[in-house]
Amino acid sequence: MRHFKRVVGLKLSRIVELIINSVLLAGLYATMAYGLGLIYGVLRIVNLAHGGVIMAGAYAGWYLHELGVDPYLSLVPVGVASFFLGVVMYRGLVYRLPRGAAGGVQSLLLLFGLWLILRNIAYLLFTGNDQTLRTGYSTKAVTLAGELVSVNRMAVFAVAILILIILHILLTQTYVGKAIRAVAQNPDSCTLVGIRVERIYSLTFGLGTALAAIAGLLGATLFPFNPGFGSSELLKSFVVVVLGGLGSVAGTAIAALILAVAEVFPTAIPGFPTYLTAAVGFVLLVLVLVLRPGGLFGQRVLG
Amino acid sequence: MRTSRTAIVLCAVLAAACKKSNQTEGAPSGGTAPAGQTSAAAPAPGGDAIRIGATLPLTGAESRIGGFYKEGYDLAFEEATKNGGVDVGGKKMPVQLTLLDDTSTQATAASLADRLINSDKVHFLLGTYATNLVEAQSVVAEQNQIPYVNGGGAATAIYKRGYKWVFGLLAPVELLAEAIMKWVDAQQQAGKLPKPATIALLWENTSHGKDFRKGVTEFANKGGNYKIVVDESFELNGKDFSALLGKVKAANADMFLADAHLPDYITMQRQYVTAGMCHKIQSYGARGSEKQAAEALTPKNVQYIVSAVWWSSLLADKNPEAKRFVDLFKAKYGGRAPEWYQALGYETARALFVAITQAGSLDREAIRAKLAGLKIPSLLPGGELTFPAEFGQQSHAPFVAQQNLPDGTSPIIAPPDAATGKGVAPNPGCAK
Repeated sequence: MRHFKRVVGLKLSRIVELIINSVLLAGLYATMAYGLGLIYGVLRIVNLAHGGVIMAGAYAGWYLHELGVDPYLSLVPVGVASFFLGVVMYRGLVYRLPRGAAGGVQSLLLLFGLWLILRNIAYLLFTGNDQTLRTGYSTKAVTLAGELVSVNRMAVFAVAILILIILHILLTQTYVGKAIRAVAQNPDSCTLVGIRVERIYSLTFGLGTALAAIAGLLGATLFPFNPGFGSSELLKSFVVVVLGGLGSVAGTAIAALILAVAEVFPTAIPGFPTYLTAAVGFVLLVLVLVLRPGGLFGQRVLG
Repeated sequence: MRTSRTAIVLCAVLAAACKKSNQTEGAPSGGTAPAGQTSAAAPAPGGDAIRIGATLPLTGAESRIGGFYKEGYDLAFEEATKNGGVDVGGKKMPVQLTLLDDTSTQATAASLADRLINSDKVHFLLGTYATNLVEAQSVVAEQNQIPYVNGGGAATAIYKRGYKWVFGLLAPVELLAEAIMKWVDAQQQAGKLPKPATIALLWENTSHGKDFRKGVTEFANKGGNYKIVVDESFELNGKDFSALLGKVKAANADMFLADAHLPDYITMQRQYVTAGMCHKIQSYGARGSEKQAAEALTPKNVQYIVSAVWWSSLLADKNPEAKRFVDLFKAKYGGRAPEWYQALGYETARALFVAITQAGSLDREAIRAKLAGLKIPSLLPGGELTFPAEFGQQSHAPFVAQQNLPDGTSPIIAPPDAATGKGVAPNPGCAK
């Protein structure tokens, strides 16, 4: 209560600043988590290669930037290329795993191995050097509600909202989206009504991989990265997806906001050891798994 | 229930992955060191060559810097070979380096040190790079009672364990903080900074960061001329410092002092500039003068940042040992100027060679004793290398402070006897 009063006693400008920081951070977290949530929602597979794809997306954006392409213009080619990478990963590897609970551990091990391979390929190609993506707007800011806000972080947030809208329209308004939701609910019945389940699986895996690569590219515009990039991003994504309820896209976005608020606001509490903010998400994860294993928004299918 | 089980398995796998990828400066680890070899130092194995073992992080997260240290080691061994070997009791003996890749991981660093000692039968060990790896490896060296000279571990925790066989060339990070504060103090005495001056202090939650914090707070608490108004830590490889920087901004301090590794420095400084922040004095500890950071942030955004490092090639202007090293390095590596990593690698190997020569034999105990009493002219700031017993055999050579100036140079601004230029305080950019 004493801490609460201290927080409430903050200046209004500081509270506005904390809210803006939370919302912008939530945009990044949501972008990182969409792909992981989508793949789990449909295939019931936790894609541990997600971290590796995030890293690959960062390097792809960096490489294109070296060729003179703006990172935000790279989103489309990187997304398309990683979509096909995801389809190949599914067809070549994931497809061969046993379905259902029997394939759970195998998929974890396989995709974890794939992540390590991706990481070591990056070490071979790019060494362990930290790379950065610098653009003309990397340090530009605009005034919002009396606070200076990074243009780049606002752009990342805008992309996160755009992805949310596109995913929502895709899953609710299109035949493919409805098929994805149907497969997520009951793949056996889908076969009976003529939906090609394997095609939907590979499409979903490709889509999830593309979203991961886009998240990596966006992350690269904000932070330095090296082949180890993606580890903490995968952990955050996992926390967000579990908080939101595995398989819920809207829940993922809301959970990203909850995580961001939980990480940002404690920094305003006097005496709070700020290095512990990194642990806040995991405390939430444990609490949700114990108290509400289906996530805050229930075990839902996509949409 | 199935979700919970999967989540638990997943968490375990992810934790293992992150432990591998995040090269934090963690607690000491000596789990892989062989047990039971605690007898008095055995005479070194015979043979015609001096066999020296080392590991470096040639792959993995620290591979870039590991490569720099390798350049330093290679140069020292090449020089010794050109001289006909190392003098041992009047006889020149060739030196052989067995260099292994510890992949930037603690467990590998420790197990490879064990292999070098007990399988490859090396006479002596040179250290790896990064505090966490040196912490792990030094345990193995101590248990096997083999001289271990390292230029890659700065945390005082390594040298506070009472080890007899471990010698470190990197001075503690507390001295780094002190070097910056001494220069700041001189500016304050000259009336360029307010008295008392307020400090916003951010430090990474590692042994490196804690030592930095200790150095700043001890200095600040001495004379009452400084007041720390923000004292916060952050996690290594952090992604979002905006909330923390908001706290710094709200405190309206005169100085912003942080201790960060290169990626965190780049991320934090980018967010600092974006937030429109400016302080009379700004520092990121050892970071600041790197070309990579200037490229990532633009030179304009790193102007007037003060840093302190263990060595600078600018020392060549005033230190003959540093000049000799810089000339040798440039001749071997196509005119490229060395950074402090290569200098420390070179000097580490050279210190061991000198101790071998002074001992006149390959007896481990004799060489340990010579290292403990070593006092030689050095390329390090201050011009002398010693391993003082009162500091656990960790060198206490002074740091050099540098400042990024608008013309793109980063001259040494302190200590006065090594200075190659004048520092600027307060930051004139804040007035704009």
